[in-house]
Amino acid sequence: MHVLLIEDDARLAAFITKALREEGHLVDHRSDGKDGLLQASLESYDLIILDRMLPSVDGLKILQTIRATGDLTPVLILSALGDLDERVKGLRAGGDDYLPKPFALSELLARAEVLGRRRPAPDEPARISIAGLDLDVVGRTVSRAGRRIELTNREFRILEFLARNAGRIVTRSMLLEHVWDYHFDPQTNIIDQHVSRLRQKLDRGFETSLVETVRGAGYTIRRSG
Amino acid sequence: MKLFGSLSFRLALIYAGLFTVSVSLLGGLYFWAAIARPLGQVREQLAQEGEALSAVYRRGGADALAPLLERRAGDPSPRLAYHALLRPDGSVVTSNLPSWPRSFTTRWLRIEADVAREGDEDEYEALALDLPLEGEARLLIGRDIEDLDELEEGVRETLVWLLPALALLTLAGGALMSRAIGRRIDAMTATARRVIAGDLSGRIPRGRAGDDFDRLAETLNLMLDRIEASLEAVRRVSDSVAHELRTPLSRLKASLIELEAEPEAGAEPLRRAIEEADRLQSIFDSLLRISRIEASRHAAAFERVDLSELMLDAVDYYQPAAEAKGQRLTASVAPGLETRGDRDLLFQAVSNLLDNAIKYTPAGGLVAVSVGLVAGEILVAISDTGPGIAPEHREKVAERFFRAPSVEGVPGLGLGLSVVQAIAAYHRSHLRFESADPGLRVEWRLPRDDRPEERTD
Repeated sequence: MHVLLIEDDARLAAFITKALREEGHLVDHRSDGKDGLLQASLESYDLIILDRMLPSVDGLKILQTIRATGDLTPVLILSALGDLDERVKGLRAGGDDYLPKPFALSELLARAEVLGRRRPAPDEPARISIAGLDLDVVGRTVSRAGRRIELTNREFRILEFLARNAGRIVTRSMLLEHVWDYHFDPQTNIIDQHVSRLRQKLDRGFETSLVETVRGAGYTIRRSG
Repeated sequence: MKLFGSLSFRLALIYAGLFTVSVSLLGGLYFWAAIARPLGQVREQLAQEGEALSAVYRRGGADALAPLLERRAGDPSPRLAYHALLRPDGSVVTSNLPSWPRSFTTRWLRIEADVAREGDEDEYEALALDLPLEGEARLLIGRDIEDLDELEEGVRETLVWLLPALALLTLAGGALMSRAIGRRIDAMTATARRVIAGDLSGRIPRGRAGDDFDRLAETLNLMLDRIEASLEAVRRVSDSVAHELRTPLSRLKASLIELEAEPEAGAEPLRRAIEEADRLQSIFDSLLRISRIEASRHAAAFERVDLSELMLDAVDYYQPAAEAKGQRLTASVAPGLETRGDRDLLFQAVSNLLDNAIKYTPAGGLVAVSVGLVAGEILVAISDTGPGIAPEHREKVAERFFRAPSVEGVPGLGLGLSVVQAIAAYHRSHLRFESADPGLRVEWRLPRDDRPEERTD
């Protein structure tokens, strides 16, 4: 995945760049708003990670400019600004995701992964088959290795989100945002308890656990298995 | 000099000047109406008489003029008539004037014309016209202007005294006024300087009159109260932040030192260090969140929020946590109650409250959530069967880092309710902590938005 990072804090930028490269991504870094904008127009990227506060050109301006040219590259906004509706502003300007500073690196990586791999597919598949799992999104039914599993509505949505992003890490915040549609820092292990209930239902009678915990990051469903 | 530097004294000076000018103008107007104009009329009358009498002399000489003059002197006019007809050699033909200048000096004269009448000597002043006649003869005719003369003198004298006296009085008054005002302003300046110098307890002394200055002093004092209270709160918070951060920091350091000494010990101290770092980060996150919410005055991001739905979401979200502790989490929610607010923040607040309720309620207990309409407001109530909060601590539970003694030993930062309080205040709503007998009952009243559905998209 080809990532453009526009971030003026040298240490944070080095940190993020290193982590993304370790994940096997190709990273270009620009520390100035103008350079970043220029770079974004010169090359095609899978993902742009954009700091909100930048020297010379404001992050939101860059985002608006990029979008004005019809460029739909996914943009993840990083912001340390104190305004409460900062997230709303960022998303309105055309951002795809928003992460307030300070953030855990694992959170950033997981979100970058999900955003960067997103394909512009207008209709998501109504059936998902992954790792022996069969999800009928319309009929809201699940079966594992042919065996029907009864899930609550909420559990189904957790599983659907995990399955759609199979092979990638899904963090607790991402689950909260996509399954419950609330944006806040849970700080507690409530999500874990939901996942563990889901897991109990999914794994009953099976040797392997379908939903794996990634320590310090979140959850994932492996593609193979 | 200080006096001239003060605005009030300059104002008094301008006021004195204006006052003096207007008094002078008024005096002048009076002088013209009461003295100058009547005097002009007398002069006109004398000029006409002089012309007529000169003509008589030209035609009939002194013999024709003298009886005319004598008759004129006997006229019962309010202004007594005077005359003196002199031959070319200076001898008198007829006269009722006591004296006159020996030779012609000027056409218009003021002549003393005291008249002895019935034993008393009346003082008269006459305005006289000195007319040279044909053949070196001379005629003086006059009219009594004693009243005008007296009036003129009176006005002159009055003005001579009045104007300087007025100027002095207004100046003195101005100086007094400026001192009185200056003293009040000086008191405010002095207080302000005390506050600038760092003594926030300084207050402006108040007078008893309840005048503009007292109201200003009162307002400024209230402002100082507010500033002092805010600063005190900031100081308290930064004190407690510093204090609260010491413990996790020193534990973090201890784990790191342990790791440095024994790198093989590896996992366990590392895990503890990360745990403490997480704890530090969540303290900072919470503090940051509180101050962001408190600093937000505008409600630009407010939208319609279905509180009933939100509460059901929250209950659903916390259901596994309650079940894990063997607690019952029940919800009695009236449908469709809407308020205006920030959906994420409201969820955060409710989530903190539920988190507390589940955390402090013993296993097997009950946490009951209800949402209903009370007196036009939405009442969100969360009751638990935990230890509750002693009445004397209810006021303080929302303070940062406050933890009731009854919950000692249960992990927590003492920031959860501060966040809730900040969110409640941001939504202009009221949060109350009551006894659920036993346990805690949190009552949160939010304004209801019952306007008809609006669609923006």
